[in-house]
Amino acid sequence: MNLQYSGEEKIAADPGTVWAFLQNPEKVGHCLPEVTEVTVQDQTHVDAVVQVAVGPVRGKFKLKVELTPDPSAQRIDVKVSGGGFGSAVDLTAGADVVDAGDGGTLLKWSGQAVARGPVAAVGGRVLEAQAKKLIKQTFGNVHQQIST
Amino acid sequence: MSTERKHEGSLGMAMKRKEDPRFIQGKGRYVDDISLPGMLYMALVRSPYPHAEIVSIDISEAMKVPGVKAVIAGKDLDAAGLGWLPTFHGLDKQMVLAIGKVLFQYQEVAAVFAETRAAAADGAEAVQVNYKPLPVVADPFAAKTDKVILRPDRERKTNHIYHWEVGDREATVKALAASSKRIKQRIWFQRCHPAPLEPCGCVAYFDTMGRLQFYVTSQAPHVYRTALAIVTGIPEDKIHVISPDIGGGFGNKVPVYPGYVCAIVGALKLACPVKWIETRTENLTSTGFARDYHMDVEIGATAEGRVTALHVATTADHGAFDAAADPTKYPAGMFGVVTGSYDFPVAHAEVDAYFTNKAPGGIAYRCSFRVTEASFAIERAMDILADELNMNAADLRRKNFVRKEQFPYPSPLGFTYDSGDYHKTLDTALEKVGYHSLLNEQAEKRTRGELMGIGISTFTEVVGAGPSKHFDILGIKMFDSAEIRIHPTGAGIVRAGTKSQGQGHETTWAQIVAEELGLDPQNIMVEEGDTDTAPYGLGTYASRSTPVAGAAIAMAARRIREKARKVAAHLLEVGEADVEWKDYRFQVRGVPAKSVTMKEVAFAAYTNMAQNEPGLEASYYYDPPNMTFPNGTYIAVVDIDRETGESKVRKFIAVDDCGTIINPLIVEGQIHGGLTEGFAMAFMQEIQYDSEGNHLNTNFTDYLVPTSLETPHWETAKTITPSPHHPIGAKGVGESPNVGSPAAFVNAVMDALSPLGIRHMDMPLTRDKVWRAIRDAEAREKAS
Repeated sequence: MNLQYSGEEKIAADPGTVWAFLQNPEKVGHCLPEVTEVTVQDQTHVDAVVQVAVGPVRGKFKLKVELTPDPSAQRIDVKVSGGGFGSAVDLTAGADVVDAGDGGTLLKWSGQAVARGPVAAVGGRVLEAQAKKLIKQTFGNVHQQIST
Repeated sequence: MSTERKHEGSLGMAMKRKEDPRFIQGKGRYVDDISLPGMLYMALVRSPYPHAEIVSIDISEAMKVPGVKAVIAGKDLDAAGLGWLPTFHGLDKQMVLAIGKVLFQYQEVAAVFAETRAAAADGAEAVQVNYKPLPVVADPFAAKTDKVILRPDRERKTNHIYHWEVGDREATVKALAASSKRIKQRIWFQRCHPAPLEPCGCVAYFDTMGRLQFYVTSQAPHVYRTALAIVTGIPEDKIHVISPDIGGGFGNKVPVYPGYVCAIVGALKLACPVKWIETRTENLTSTGFARDYHMDVEIGATAEGRVTALHVATTADHGAFDAAADPTKYPAGMFGVVTGSYDFPVAHAEVDAYFTNKAPGGIAYRCSFRVTEASFAIERAMDILADELNMNAADLRRKNFVRKEQFPYPSPLGFTYDSGDYHKTLDTALEKVGYHSLLNEQAEKRTRGELMGIGISTFTEVVGAGPSKHFDILGIKMFDSAEIRIHPTGAGIVRAGTKSQGQGHETTWAQIVAEELGLDPQNIMVEEGDTDTAPYGLGTYASRSTPVAGAAIAMAARRIREKARKVAAHLLEVGEADVEWKDYRFQVRGVPAKSVTMKEVAFAAYTNMAQNEPGLEASYYYDPPNMTFPNGTYIAVVDIDRETGESKVRKFIAVDDCGTIINPLIVEGQIHGGLTEGFAMAFMQEIQYDSEGNHLNTNFTDYLVPTSLETPHWETAKTITPSPHHPIGAKGVGESPNVGSPAAFVNAVMDALSPLGIRHMDMPLTRDKVWRAIRDAEAREKAS
């Protein structure tokens, strides 16, 4: 299945703080929902293991995350690929760090994800809602971790 | 054949199946019951991508999994010359394990061998494959554009596999143009899967003599032996294929699958027995599917309803490899039977097949090489024509049937139909179902807006492949064989080149011998599936067992009878010419009191044979002179709930004509099973892929098999028109109900929906699909 998504998250921190956070692969890795392992390869590459449960399909996904920050545009592109138990996901996302003007920051994100294998077949009916929830949760975690 | 009195258990007797006590007590012996010392288990790594380049395969983590002994990938096999195996169609080849790229989701990528099944599965999970996704072609109409070439390994750089045609195109076009009535309809027979309850599997090992011992769920063990010899280079005498009990095949267990080759390679490499048993998901996603034919059907007729011409143009989706196991000369199988039971003056059929990023296969599911598709197309189209002509569907059929006196009937698409009495079969069915009172009931219900439909299918099948001049698999001619040995006590053994997967051969074959030799069928053992002992045969599929091997058994038995006659003459102290076979015994001509039984002769053949050669055995390789043409009339009565879209099959009558019946109990059982599968296709089953090439029906929650709760009550009846060229007149029946019934169900639903202006819908006719069609029709009516 092919999923398009977009949204925004208001973060109660200045853009500089948010930008610094997004460039820390360790911290970004830990924002993935249900993450159990984060291994930083270098400044822009992280390996992560997450627990996945879509309908009756449950298991671990091993993901490779690639971060491409563009300081001049205050934008970070993220590429996530990997999978497990015969399934695969390929996700690309871009997030713009925008000054909200009130001391806070708007994180505007959009992207697309493709899921293949049992996770797409068995979870098909609930996958879209579940995927949107997970993406929202990821940015929610960014918000939470910056705020704390 | 004697007809003066029936011998116990002989032809036509409803003898209980000899094999059933074993099966119903859980004592069947299937491949997964085989366990050998030191046996390893194999699991396959499969691709989640439908089309992707394989960038790398990393097995290091897999090798660390406790119990994992080895992992092999496509390049390892390729280096050993085992990268590809020929498909049974013979004009294409299939990757054993993916080489360079994957072409369908769940394609085999690597094989893991481990001490336990769980360790093998864990090892497979730990193999890291790095894929680079490629554009997906999940539809044959997109494949036609050739924007993405799926098989650059082939000489022709196109997704088009073949064009096949039969009949007179020019005359058909002309006749259609001149017809006062014409209908045209695209009819899609959806992709479905036979889903046998036992999935595919094997156990492979090399014995102390270096001989491959290969237990496998095969419908055609001898063809496997030859194919494995060709693929692996192992001399054929060093290969022993054994098919033990099989839990359903339906054509799914005809092809040689990549997993088998991997298991053999593993057994050789690791010098251990290797077992591989598919999971349900693997069976549904990677082994032989059925259908996926998009058929544009056009019929011309006179205003009075006499058909004038038929044209069918089909786009076939064959998936990633051309693995439809059709005879070499017939890439679209027996699709030429698409003129059905009707006397078309002229016809033309053509099929164009394409590669897509889907699992390969196409001809499985109780279907004689595309006959189910052809039958569905013509039986649906005849109903659409009846609708166009505002004519009763039974009357239209009756008007156009091939008449009894026209047999042997040369069809415009090249077959010679052997026998039939279509009018009688139809009339029997109409009478049994109470057709006229049903029509009255329907008329009355329609005045109240209730949706009731009566669907008729008057199909003709072509089975019993086949005459060696036309039919082969991988070049091997499609004869079949039997070997019979009668022991001194009058018991015996029959071995045949076929392989039962539930058809009841252990009973049926014994009954043919009982009929021919006057022996007790309970003491005639039947053995199949062991290539060391059975004579070479092409196996059981396409309803060919009784038409071909059944004939071989009758002919071998007659050879035994001729030999026995000499011994009988010696016992009766008369010349051989004075001995006749009558009432299941040898009698002195004109002196019936002076006789000996076959049992007595058998004993003498070993104890008192005089100058005759000792022993009593014979074999026969039967090359059928023609195909057989079973036929029938099926009528379904359906009520549809207007509010929920649910179709309820209230009544179903199947009148089959399969020629001479060997065992009516078994024939009826075959019909019940086939109707249930036809019902499943009509209302429940579809293998779906999304536009990304994801397989969406990977298990029994998403791919439905009817249980006794959903299955309607079946009523059966028969007419008997023996095949004139078969030694006992039998035609075969295994596939008739699957070939004939989908159209009866769909015709009934369409008949019910016809007051709403709905003329055609593709299967499966699920509740939601019918509900939507009703709502759309109501909206259209409101708008107008």
